[in-house]
Amino acid sequence: MIKGVWPGRIERLLWIGVVFPLLTGCWDRLEIEERAVVLAIGIDEVENGSEVEVPQITNESDIFAPPNNQLVRVTVQIAVPGGIPLGPGEGGGGSSGVGGGQRSIWVVDAVGNTIEGALNNLQERIAPPLFYGHLRIIIVSEAVARKGIDNLNDYFRRNPEVRRMNWMFVCKGKAIDLMKTSPQLERVPPLYLVSMMDQAVKMGRFPNDFLGLFWSASSALGKEGFLPYLSLKPQGTMEIDGMAFFVKDKMVGLTKPIEIPMYMGIMGMSPAGGQVYVQVPEMHNFVLFGGRARKSIIKSSIRDGEPHISIHTGIEGVILEKFSEGMPLDDRTIHLIERKLEHDALEGYRELIRKTQEKGSDIFGFGEIIRAKQWRYWNRHIGTEEAWREKYKTLDVDINVHIYIRRIGMKSR
Amino acid sequence: MEYPRQITVIQAAAIITSTIIGVGVLALPYFAAGHAGTASPLITLAAILLSFFGLWFISVLGMRFRTQSIVEYSEAILGRWLAFAGNLLIILFFAALTSLAAREFGEVVITAVLKRTPLEVVVAIMLLIAMISCRKDITTFAYIHHFYLPIIVFPAIVIVALSLRNAKAINLLPIWGNANSWSNLLGGVLVVAALFQAAFIYTMVIPYMRRPERALVASSAGLAIAGGLYLSIVIAVIGVFGAEETKKLQWPTLELAKTTTLPGNVLERLDAAFLALWVTAVFSTLFSTYYFTIFAIGKLFRMRDRNMLAPFLMPLLFAFAMVPTNVLHMYQIIGQVGRLGLYLTIGYPLFLLIVAKIRRIRGNSDDQGRVARPN
Amino acid sequence: MTIFDWFQRRSRKKKSKQPPLPIPDQYMEQHADDPIPNNLEKAVQLFTGLLEDSQFLTVRRFRLFGQFPAAMIYFSNMVDPEIKNADILRPLMYVPDHLAGTRIALKDLSDIVMNDALYYTGSERQQKMGKVILKLLRGGTAVLIDGLNDAIVMETTKIAQRSIDQPETEQVIRGPREGFVEQLGTNISLLRYRLPTTDLKVKTMDLGRVTKSKVAVCYLKGIANDALIQEVFNRLSKIDIDGALDTGYLEQFIEDSHYSPFPQIQNTERTDKAVANLLEGRVIILMDGSPFALILPTTFSQFYQTTEDYNERFLMVSFVRLARLQALVFSLITPSLYVAIISYNPELIPTEFAVAVSGGRAGVPFPSVVEVLVMEASMEMLREATLRLPQQIGGALSIVGVLVVGQAAVAAGFVSPITVVVIALTTIGSFATPAYNAALALRLLRFPLVGMASMFGLYGVMVGLILIANHVLSLRSFGVPYLTPIVPGNFQGMKDTLLRFPLWSMKRRPTLLHTDNDRRLGKDVDNQMKRPTNNTLDPLKVGNEKEDAEGGISPSDHGDTSGGDHH
Repeated sequence: MIKGVWPGRIERLLWIGVVFPLLTGCWDRLEIEERAVVLAIGIDEVENGSEVEVPQITNESDIFAPPNNQLVRVTVQIAVPGGIPLGPGEGGGGSSGVGGGQRSIWVVDAVGNTIEGALNNLQERIAPPLFYGHLRIIIVSEAVARKGIDNLNDYFRRNPEVRRMNWMFVCKGKAIDLMKTSPQLERVPPLYLVSMMDQAVKMGRFPNDFLGLFWSASSALGKEGFLPYLSLKPQGTMEIDGMAFFVKDKMVGLTKPIEIPMYMGIMGMSPAGGQVYVQVPEMHNFVLFGGRARKSIIKSSIRDGEPHISIHTGIEGVILEKFSEGMPLDDRTIHLIERKLEHDALEGYRELIRKTQEKGSDIFGFGEIIRAKQWRYWNRHIGTEEAWREKYKTLDVDINVHIYIRRIGMKSR
Repeated sequence: MEYPRQITVIQAAAIITSTIIGVGVLALPYFAAGHAGTASPLITLAAILLSFFGLWFISVLGMRFRTQSIVEYSEAILGRWLAFAGNLLIILFFAALTSLAAREFGEVVITAVLKRTPLEVVVAIMLLIAMISCRKDITTFAYIHHFYLPIIVFPAIVIVALSLRNAKAINLLPIWGNANSWSNLLGGVLVVAALFQAAFIYTMVIPYMRRPERALVASSAGLAIAGGLYLSIVIAVIGVFGAEETKKLQWPTLELAKTTTLPGNVLERLDAAFLALWVTAVFSTLFSTYYFTIFAIGKLFRMRDRNMLAPFLMPLLFAFAMVPTNVLHMYQIIGQVGRLGLYLTIGYPLFLLIVAKIRRIRGNSDDQGRVARPN
Repeated sequence: MTIFDWFQRRSRKKKSKQPPLPIPDQYMEQHADDPIPNNLEKAVQLFTGLLEDSQFLTVRRFRLFGQFPAAMIYFSNMVDPEIKNADILRPLMYVPDHLAGTRIALKDLSDIVMNDALYYTGSERQQKMGKVILKLLRGGTAVLIDGLNDAIVMETTKIAQRSIDQPETEQVIRGPREGFVEQLGTNISLLRYRLPTTDLKVKTMDLGRVTKSKVAVCYLKGIANDALIQEVFNRLSKIDIDGALDTGYLEQFIEDSHYSPFPQIQNTERTDKAVANLLEGRVIILMDGSPFALILPTTFSQFYQTTEDYNERFLMVSFVRLARLQALVFSLITPSLYVAIISYNPELIPTEFAVAVSGGRAGVPFPSVVEVLVMEASMEMLREATLRLPQQIGGALSIVGVLVVGQAAVAAGFVSPITVVVIALTTIGSFATPAYNAALALRLLRFPLVGMASMFGLYGVMVGLILIANHVLSLRSFGVPYLTPIVPGNFQGMKDTLLRFPLWSMKRRPTLLHTDNDRRLGKDVDNQMKRPTNNTLDPLKVGNEKEDAEGGISPSDHGDTSGGDHH
């Protein structure tokens, strides 16, 4: 301590003066059971003409006037504390593992002018503070996606609690319907969707596209983002019905489900999980081919002052199923199948690229490759996102496909 | 026998590294990408080189005047009054640096983690723990930096290593960036170099090193480690997010930590943990600059007992930390102070060195009553 | 006058009002140097008057050599009965054989007694009262002879002592089971038989005005640093209290920082630990009446090391040491981490678990801070309770306390189950720390950390840890930085901190002690260890014996009869 009587006493006073106010409050303390843990958010638009009253919480009609736009409806799934027991469900609450979904989630919705406005209105009706730290799923209805999700993106980027590892989906119809379903296999239904996507990525059925990647792709100058497209199917299941591709923050188109592995084929993403029928030429038979690994090499060049992309892509796979007997599988047949598949795949790829070119949505990132490798051209002729979108519509793309069938399963022929 | 020179070469390098690595790294990729796009790694490298020059001048000066700190030998070189002005400027600059670093870290903590705690409390705590630690002698100062170095470096390396999984090489190309003007690039280099300027405190350390002739080696090693870490963070951030997305994030390094998951999903959302560990990095920087301020004031006014200074300075530092009115204003001030600091930390030593060489002034090579190291 | 003047006046007044301290043992202060009276009766009266203890203070009068009146004075409950009978009284009653028949003069008596008659080895002549009384008080016997002012005092102490057993606080699986006892003589003998070297120096001093405890400072000259030894003596000689009952008293007087929660001097009951530390260059302080030896200087790394670490093989032991270190860290930060994560940052835990935890806490009325503090406080209470109870009840209580009460508390909805787990882990961690005083320090530091965590979450925990680390970094034990060899870095020293490197690779003694003689191993040991071992009993060499037949034993030329020429 400081020597001397007076400096010592002053110092002690200083200490007391500084330390005590700190003890007055734990400002941020919020017990885990006092939070409303939001697990999933669904966003719909409110149709014109429906009778909806917006509570005057964030705005009054003249003062603090909100933007004059379509109202949004936000639905949230909140985890009910106690609805999910610790450990394998003990006797106590009487909730069994199966069908636990009903009791563990509470679905509520609210209306507002923007996302945060709607959430604010929601908070007015819910006692515990909403906590987004465990938010995993964001579902946007197709209507909203087509109108533009820039407000959404901004809100979620700004909120420090939201993770970038979430999944955002576009759904067919209304998001609120999806939110109300609860699949049987999971104690916490939104986690079902999360594991569905994670498994899809692992099985090679969908590219890794969580929110952070989507944002990076959207922000990049030469690339556009895409999101998985969900639709509700019978028995409470949900199906990935394709990819929704965007231009900036508006959805402009939808691919077919089969085009997902095609996209992955062009990009060369492994592992590969797509399966296609191949009609064996000369044999009137069909086999089902399953891909196991993909690789592609994408090269860029400038020809006659125009950018040019050439893709060499290869897929390795196995034969999963043969439609009928009468066609033993031998080396020659395998090669026939390979050639037919190459031909089909080439057509499919070209079709997909054309589809995206129509809308000017470069989800493959060819623009990024041009920007990175042919930067002189980029700096001089393109330079901005919009310019690339225009250019993409007429981009010349060359594709070469190689298929390798390696194995045919346990059956010898 | 007394052995007042206790700081080893390793400890000196540790002091440099842990002083440099501080709160600036959180926002670094944002500023770099804003100026240079995908050329950020390149300008970071250039900034490291620039700071190296600054440290070089300081080390050479220190080796020349190996028993004196800059406050003392600047008087020998420039004469009392000119040196007084220079030293006063240095003191003010480092006091400002302390306040602004505390404020910047407070902003990050308040925005990202503790949303309802008042900013004053967080800033006050950081300044307080730096203040308490300022009573200690310089050997303990070295021990503290030496001890915290692995705690600082290790999480950064872990985050970078884990996140490189998700990085794409294409995000880092082209190396020169797209359509960057030279003024943009230069501005970026200066902004990044400003993050390294806390290493100026090395002038306080050299007189207490066991072997001051190795001062240059120590400072180069320290700068290399810190610079390497900064470079790898920039590469990781831009590789994972891409330059455009980085421009939209205020604190991209934090976002990088958010995106990282430990294998096996043991812990998610590592940014809170990362921020907690980063407290040590910020503390070590604050401690260095605060200690240097007090040290310099003590030497300048020939005080015998420096202990009273720390508590008296704290309210002033706190007041200055509260000057910026919002986050963006704060970054504006940081930019200006940083720019000024570059002239001070690189230009001033160069000036001193030149004048010393011209006037042929050297330091005393014996230790004037301080016993040299044993045989 | 101002309020400041009033303050000053008050403090001055307080100081002057203190009465003078009472001085114990006034007789000894004043008369210690008096000679013993010639007259036997007067002498005996003086002694019995001073040492008023009619039950046990015995005066046995007899005739020395049959002629001269003499008396033997002793405390009967403190002397060894056989010695006093056979070895003292008997030879004094009979004239020694070789002097039979000669005339013995009074003035020669004490000489003859010492050199010819009394064959008991522990005897000496004393003239001063003080010394005789001191010897008597310690259990000696004094023989007073009429007409002489010499007294013969003999060392006959026999005080019951407990048997040498493994100390209860420091148990090992493998290693000697000897521990120090309360008698200083026995303790030093235990040290000496393990270190039969002239370098082992034992310097004693008396501390404590009333207890006059013998304090022994032991060190190996040439290995321990001389300046250190001098400093130890300096600090010990400054102690001036009336009674020192345990080495703990000494520790509190000579340590560097009185306010730090971390101990700067280690203590042990084990002899092998004391000897090991002596060999490294440390100083041991032993005291009569206390089985604990002080070891100084001390660094933090010694608090999680045990002697067993050196008795077992290095790989296993390194792993065990890591486990111990983990226990130490757990005991410090687990409750505060728990509070920080639950109250401030629940996004750190996986989602499913987070939701389940909130379920577990749903019925609990208090915030997690209060829960943790209440449970910790009850745990401390429980710990103290088990210490005081006799063995039979104590064992059952710990089980009852932890399991049943904890379970009941959870079932009652008073605490959440995870809190119980956290607290249990913490307590177990603190028990796993070998050094009790260090465990105590960490136990204490838990509470401020929980407080910081409850105010600022993880950020608060970090700030608390930084404050603790800074304190530890500036702590010194007799000048040695507390965190040596981690800070300042010392590679040789680091071979024995986290992991334990093989014994043959630790060639030097710890440099932190600045010893002059720092080689531990011989010069060639490293090479010797690297040579491949000799497979003495390999079946190839000694053959396989199966019942009658001898198989496998082959001549060294493998039965090749061609004489070794193979081209």
